Amino acid sequence: MSRGHRAEQIGIDRRKFLLATAGAAGAAFLAACDSTGPKSAKKLLQFAMDKNESLERTLFRHTSIDAAPDGARVAGGSFPSYFVSKQVPVWDDAIRGAWRLEVTGMVDQPLSLSLSDLAALPRIGYKLNHYCVEGWTAVATRTGVRLADLARLAKVQRGAEYVDFQSFDDGYHESWDIASAVHPQTLVVYAQDGHYLNPAWGAPARIYSPTKLGYKNTKYLTKIVFMPKRNGGYWSDFGYEWYGGV
Amino acid sequence: MVGSGLRIFNAYPAFARKGETFCCYPFEHHPIPAQLTFGGWLGGARNWHFAMMWLLVVNGFVYLAFIYLHGEWRDLVPRRGVVRDSWEMVKFYVGRRKDHPIQGKHNALQRGAYFAMPIVGIMAVVTGIAIWKPVELSWLTSALGGYVWARYWHFWAMLLLVILTVGHVFMVFAVDPYSIPSMITGSYDEDASPEARNARPLLHLRKRRPAPRTAP
Repeated sequence: MSRGHRAEQIGIDRRKFLLATAGAAGAAFLAACDSTGPKSAKKLLQFAMDKNESLERTLFRHTSIDAAPDGARVAGGSFPSYFVSKQVPVWDDAIRGAWRLEVTGMVDQPLSLSLSDLAALPRIGYKLNHYCVEGWTAVATRTGVRLADLARLAKVQRGAEYVDFQSFDDGYHESWDIASAVHPQTLVVYAQDGHYLNPAWGAPARIYSPTKLGYKNTKYLTKIVFMPKRNGGYWSDFGYEWYGGV
Repeated sequence: MVGSGLRIFNAYPAFARKGETFCCYPFEHHPIPAQLTFGGWLGGARNWHFAMMWLLVVNGFVYLAFIYLHGEWRDLVPRRGVVRDSWEMVKFYVGRRKDHPIQGKHNALQRGAYFAMPIVGIMAVVTGIAIWKPVELSWLTSALGGYVWARYWHFWAMLLLVILTVGHVFMVFAVDPYSIPSMITGSYDEDASPEARNARPLLHLRKRRPAPRTAP
């Protein structure tokens, strides 16, 4: 009559076996790990990011709008200033000629607008939250033109599923899905808290929508390009979510 | 989830809206020690957080479905007199009471902790959704007091879960290590229960020898 499991008969102690297995699994995990986690997880994380994007696009509604909380003060001078150039990007008319905003790509009527052209278009102002990927929020009054209005003027073609917002800030750009771009609170902003933008906040104009995280909202805007495909963006290429929805 | 959450938090280790102050967090602008964080950088931590949240949600549903279908939720819902019974347990643990209070499967403190766990877990998920989608699901975020408060409640949910987990794991080893195999096998030796051993944390860990049988 044999007693115990066969493995025990041939000399493998169950306790030692479990310890050895746990040790080997732990060592393998540590070896595959750097501070960003095991490398083999990259595919899984990308898969989750893609699934999350589909879910976020399903949740997206043009009727979901943002409003700064009652009694919230505008951040004013405390509003952070971010850019990727070494110094604050300033448009110098003497070098580059007068600033103009180009609306191009898949449009029947390309536009080239000066700041006064923009200011002459229907003006929209909202007191909005700014949601930064870092977790802070700041309240500001944003004044500008609805991107949906510009899209209508430029007669955007069918099949233009994406929009790229380009800048003169050292090649910074971010592309968006068209649905977010024509949200009623997506504005080409030229004034903040009642004054024309200063260079720290993206002068002469920037894109702003509370439905996107801060990094998706290109400042120092030069070009709006309607496209059939997405073309990434400065921070999205770096590893943040491309969709960046709020 | 906790490690990556803390790494995300460290990107802005405060709750105040820019240009304002926040009443209720004493460590505003003091980052969490990096050794406690996971993800390496903000984007990496976010990618982990937004992937693993599904595991948390699925795991939570499986757990809730299991205890519902097996009726074991009855072992977790606090009974009448839970406050008094918990107080008796505390008194026993600190040595102000000699004998272990009579309990069923779980003592009153355990019931409280195990009942709170899924509630705090649900709170963590709900507050997390609120700060993930404060515009698309603004009704939810507003119900929690707005983005800043929802983020604060999310932090608290994490903290409570960590406290409950650390307390639970400590007590498993300090009071009832005999329950560890039963977590997998399901069988439990009642003679080794804390009640039978009159066990306080780290005391009376050894099983009592059964009384010697005497000849009739």
